Amino acid sequence: MQIEERGSTHVYKVNRISKEEIDTMVERCVYEDPPFCNAACPLKLDTRTMLGAVAEGNLKKALQIYEKAAVFPLILSMGCEAPCEEKCRLCEKGDGIAIRAVEAAVARFGPVSRQDSIFRTKKKKSVAILGSGLFPLFLAGEVEKKAYPLTVFCEQPDLDGFLRCETGFLDSDAFAQELKRLEEKDITFVFNCEFTEAFLEKQRTAFDVLCVSQEVLDGLAPGCAFDSDLMICRETCLVSCREKGVMAAAFGAKKAALTVDRLVQNLDPSSNRGKEGAVASRLYTDLSEASALSRTPVPEGGYTAQSAIEEAGRCIQCHCEECMKSCSYLRHYRKFPGLLAKEIYNNTQIIMGDHQLNKPMNACSLCGQCTVVCPNGFDMAHVCHLARQNMVSTDKMPLAPHEFALLDMLFSNGDAFLSRPQPGFEKCRYVFFPGCQAAAIAPETVKAAYEDLCERLDGGVALMLGCCGAICDWAGRIELEAQTTEFLARELSKLGDPVIIAGCPTCKKELQEHHALQVRGIWDVLLKIGLPEEAHGLDRPVALHDSCGARGDAHTQQAIRKLAQQLGCDLVETPYAQDRSPCCGYGGLSAYANREVAKEMTEQCLARSEAPYLSYCMACRDRFARQGRESRHVLELVYGTDAGTPPDISEKRYNRLTLKKELLQEIWQEEPMESKLDFQLEYTPQARESMDERMILTDDVVAVLTDYRLTKEAVLDEENNLLIARKRIGNATFWVKFTKTGENSYLVHSAYSHRMQVVRRNG
Amino acid sequence: MANERNYYTVDPEGKLQCMKCGIPLVKGKAKFMYLDNGFPVELPVCPRCGFVYVPEELALGKVASVERALEDK
Repeated sequence: MQIEERGSTHVYKVNRISKEEIDTMVERCVYEDPPFCNAACPLKLDTRTMLGAVAEGNLKKALQIYEKAAVFPLILSMGCEAPCEEKCRLCEKGDGIAIRAVEAAVARFGPVSRQDSIFRTKKKKSVAILGSGLFPLFLAGEVEKKAYPLTVFCEQPDLDGFLRCETGFLDSDAFAQELKRLEEKDITFVFNCEFTEAFLEKQRTAFDVLCVSQEVLDGLAPGCAFDSDLMICRETCLVSCREKGVMAAAFGAKKAALTVDRLVQNLDPSSNRGKEGAVASRLYTDLSEASALSRTPVPEGGYTAQSAIEEAGRCIQCHCEECMKSCSYLRHYRKFPGLLAKEIYNNTQIIMGDHQLNKPMNACSLCGQCTVVCPNGFDMAHVCHLARQNMVSTDKMPLAPHEFALLDMLFSNGDAFLSRPQPGFEKCRYVFFPGCQAAAIAPETVKAAYEDLCERLDGGVALMLGCCGAICDWAGRIELEAQTTEFLARELSKLGDPVIIAGCPTCKKELQEHHALQVRGIWDVLLKIGLPEEAHGLDRPVALHDSCGARGDAHTQQAIRKLAQQLGCDLVETPYAQDRSPCCGYGGLSAYANREVAKEMTEQCLARSEAPYLSYCMACRDRFARQGRESRHVLELVYGTDAGTPPDISEKRYNRLTLKKELLQEIWQEEPMESKLDFQLEYTPQARESMDERMILTDDVVAVLTDYRLTKEAVLDEENNLLIARKRIGNATFWVKFTKTGENSYLVHSAYSHRMQVVRRNG
Repeated sequence: MANERNYYTVDPEGKLQCMKCGIPLVKGKAKFMYLDNGFPVELPVCPRCGFVYVPEELALGKVASVERALEDK
């Protein structure tokens, strides 16, 4: 079977993710939801960032943030009802942050940034405010911020009198500060006004929008209908406010300023307003590590700058990062899953040029840990898996990231495949399916397990060495997966559709999904029939790593623990165990598509404990051992075997072939056909190491040399006397640098490959 | 054409020999092709049998990085 490179014309006929589906999924990620303090503030003050800036001692930045919500920060901080404070999550464990007192300190001690209003281009339409009090004051600030030419008409004789109206709660320092702030604003004031109807009509012709205080509105249009969402009396077309209080005035001014915006554009004031006021938040906050639960006491006269910094330092900066904490893949790309999912969707469905998300979508281990740790069950694996299937179906998926793994699967179910009933049985009650990685990494263990099962189970135990189809499933190759299922079903039927005894939790899951046969884990069988004599645990504590293939399979997780206990293992449970366990880096073909991310996954697994690792998936065992940790598969302890140093990619193939050959000879007395090479190959250690790194098999090297012996096509590099031959195999060209060491023997110094085809051109 | 574009040039500098023909490789015109893209290059080529040599540094460097870029197109 040949796997073909993607086509030249992309077919856009298959759509496996709908926009609605992705939107529903993205909606689950609450990373972008506002923190609760921010959500509770009608003025939408970015409290979290402000407190963060204060905690860093950056009062200037904090004041800039505060001023975005509060045009007169001291008035607001000293008079607002602080709905944010009771929503602070720390209230659940102790004292919430004294947000208002911190704000007051920010307003009082924060260095004011230079006002730039004079240099701003003013808008053409003009606005007038009639009256005094908190609402006209805040509104003046908001309208001035929007750069409208603004005139304020008030009854008072001067600015001092205007500001003093309804601000009696300010102390003299605060009053002086806010007066200075008001003076610096680009507002024209007209004092000593008397608000009569004639005066109003006169201003109506002079200005585009008129805003009035509650008193002026009541005086000029008593009892008129008032829309308190839009802050407008539609009958008189006057913008105003009917509520008293600092927060009501500040919030009213924000809404009124937006209405002014709409009115000058001749739009309906209700159009395009977005979500105003306090909102609900779904943010998840982990409070388990919250400390410093007592509030810094607020002295009379408020916090000093230092005590405000101290209090702000208690803020835990609510963020939902549950998935990021546990998943090295998400951490690697530094994107929360909602955003990453959106980008991956766009990458597969919308983007026509560079597909920069191909690598991230192929790097996910599809392990499902995020779904378990996310408070809303966000399923990044589902998104990446569907995206891969979509890319394959639309012929956009490059073959390079998955080709090696897919060819390896074809090898497992081709040259290395073995399916035989137990000698003496035509049909069997059971079939042992150890999994491709077990045969590749620990062939002795597979042999011992099969012999044991044959001996101790009645009704015949067949053996099937092959791949369950997980590889093509992970690669998003639906058609290949269907072919694999059909192939295995045919082979299983020849054996009499036996009960499958899986040696690997991923095989168990995969086979259960695709075959209507009973599938058991070998661990369950061993618990039932008891351990063989040679079974014993390690003499030191071992950390148990749960396989991602067993996620959601509590039965298997428990069975392994029971088995380990019976083996006499002293188990160290790790953080992120059972359903929360991370992937070793093999899952989802991460290790093939993005080695760097896969390595980070392995390191994260190993960071949980210093002890040797015990696993029940051979791929986990292999990756941990490669990383230099003592690592054992539970079956090695059961059968007293030790798979030792991890094999390289060529040895993994050799092991599978050798296991098949030995079993055929020893159990079925069959002499397998073997093609002997008519030449000998040796490798320098550097060559062998770099071949593993470059995913080049000894089989590839043999093919190149066989071809060379036939064609004599090679290049001699006279600088180092190396011969260099090449052969195109499948979708890649393999090059081998070698020397002749005898008539029929060669020493390989290096091998490399490229996927590009190279041809001569004329002219 | 004197101004024809070449993306990459490797000169054999007389140090490479074609084993089949027993003659030195010369700088010759070749083309890399991958996923419907073609890149004219100049590589060591046997003037008689047409063997095109891709050096290890080129395969693992430039060629590999262009492959990655094209795979994401």
